Amino acid sequence: MNKLLALAATAFLVVGCGTPASYKDPNGRELVVSLEKVDIQDFATAGSTMLQSMVNAPAFQKAGAAPVLQVGNVLNDTASNFDTSLLLTKITAPLVNAGRVRLLDSDPAAVAARKATPGAAVPVPEFVLKGKILEDRSNAGRTRQASFVFQLTLVEVKSSLAVWQDEKIVTKQGSKNSVGF
Amino acid sequence: MNKFLPLLALGLSVGCTSLIKTGDRLERGLTPPDAVNYVTTKADGTFETQINDQRIAGKIALLAARKSKTPAGFAQAQFELRNDSYLGRTINVSFEWLAADGRVTETQPNWIVTPLEPGAIARVDATALKAESVECRLRLLSR
Repeated sequence: MNKLLALAATAFLVVGCGTPASYKDPNGRELVVSLEKVDIQDFATAGSTMLQSMVNAPAFQKAGAAPVLQVGNVLNDTASNFDTSLLLTKITAPLVNAGRVRLLDSDPAAVAARKATPGAAVPVPEFVLKGKILEDRSNAGRTRQASFVFQLTLVEVKSSLAVWQDEKIVTKQGSKNSVGF
Repeated sequence: MNKFLPLLALGLSVGCTSLIKTGDRLERGLTPPDAVNYVTTKADGTFETQINDQRIAGKIALLAARKSKTPAGFAQAQFELRNDSYLGRTINVSFEWLAADGRVTETQPNWIVTPLEPGAIARVDATALKAESVECRLRLLSR
C-alpha cells in the first residue's frame, strides 16, 4: 500500500507540476532566456540598438532623403541555426516604413526581373549592410556564460568604404535557462 | 512509510523545479507588480515624469533629458539615469516618439536590459526616424 501511495505521489509531482503553455508578449519581460541560443529578444535588443547607432552615423545622415540600401551577407558563426533576417528586419523595417531608405530587393526573382528589363531605371544601391554574428562561451563550475556578438557594417558603394560599424554584445549567465529578465 | 519519504524528496528536488517558479509568482502576486514609469520631453524644453512604481524613487535618479535635432532635422533625445542605491540594479528602458499633437509615431517596443552598478550612469539615446516625431517618451521599468 505504501509503495503504491509513494508511486502515485511521485507521479503526481513529476507530471502535475508543469507550466501550461500560454501566449506572451514578444516584447515583454516574461520570455525564456536561453543560454545555448540567441533568443528572439536578443535579436530585438541588438537590432534596435544598432538601428539607433546607424541613423546617427554622419555618413548616413549626410546621405540623400532616402538612399537605396541593399542587404548584404550576414554570416551566422554561432552553433545554433537561425535566419539572420531576424536581426536585419529589426533594422530595415523601421527605416523602410519611415521612408528613410529604399530597400533594394535582393530576391533572385527581383534580380532576374531587373536584368530582363533592358533600359529600365534600375536603382543602384548606395549602401550595403553586412555583418556577422558570433558567439563566445565560458563557464565556472556550474555557472555558464554565453555571449553573442552582433557586428554590422554599412558600406558606401561608390567609395567601397565602411562608413559605419557597430558591435553589440548580448551576454547571458546562469546554470540553466529561465523565464524573464 | 520510511520508503515513502525519500521518494517524495526525490520528486520534489528533481521533478518539480516549477514549484520554485510558482513560489516566485506567488511572491510577485503578493507584492505590487513592477510598473512602467515614463519621462516625456516637452515642447518648451522641459520634461515631465510619471512615476507609477514608487519603489523606483530614491533608487534611480533622472539626471537629464535633453532634446536636439540631427543635421538632417530629425529629433534626438538623450536621457541620463543614475543608480542611486547601494546595490547593483537592472533597469529596462524603451522609448516611443510622439507627434506635436500627441500621436505615437514611432516605437521601440522591446525592453533594453541595462545593468547598473551603484552610482553608475546610463545614457539612453533616441533618434527619430520620421520628421513628424518631435517629443520622446522614455519608458522605464525597474526589476
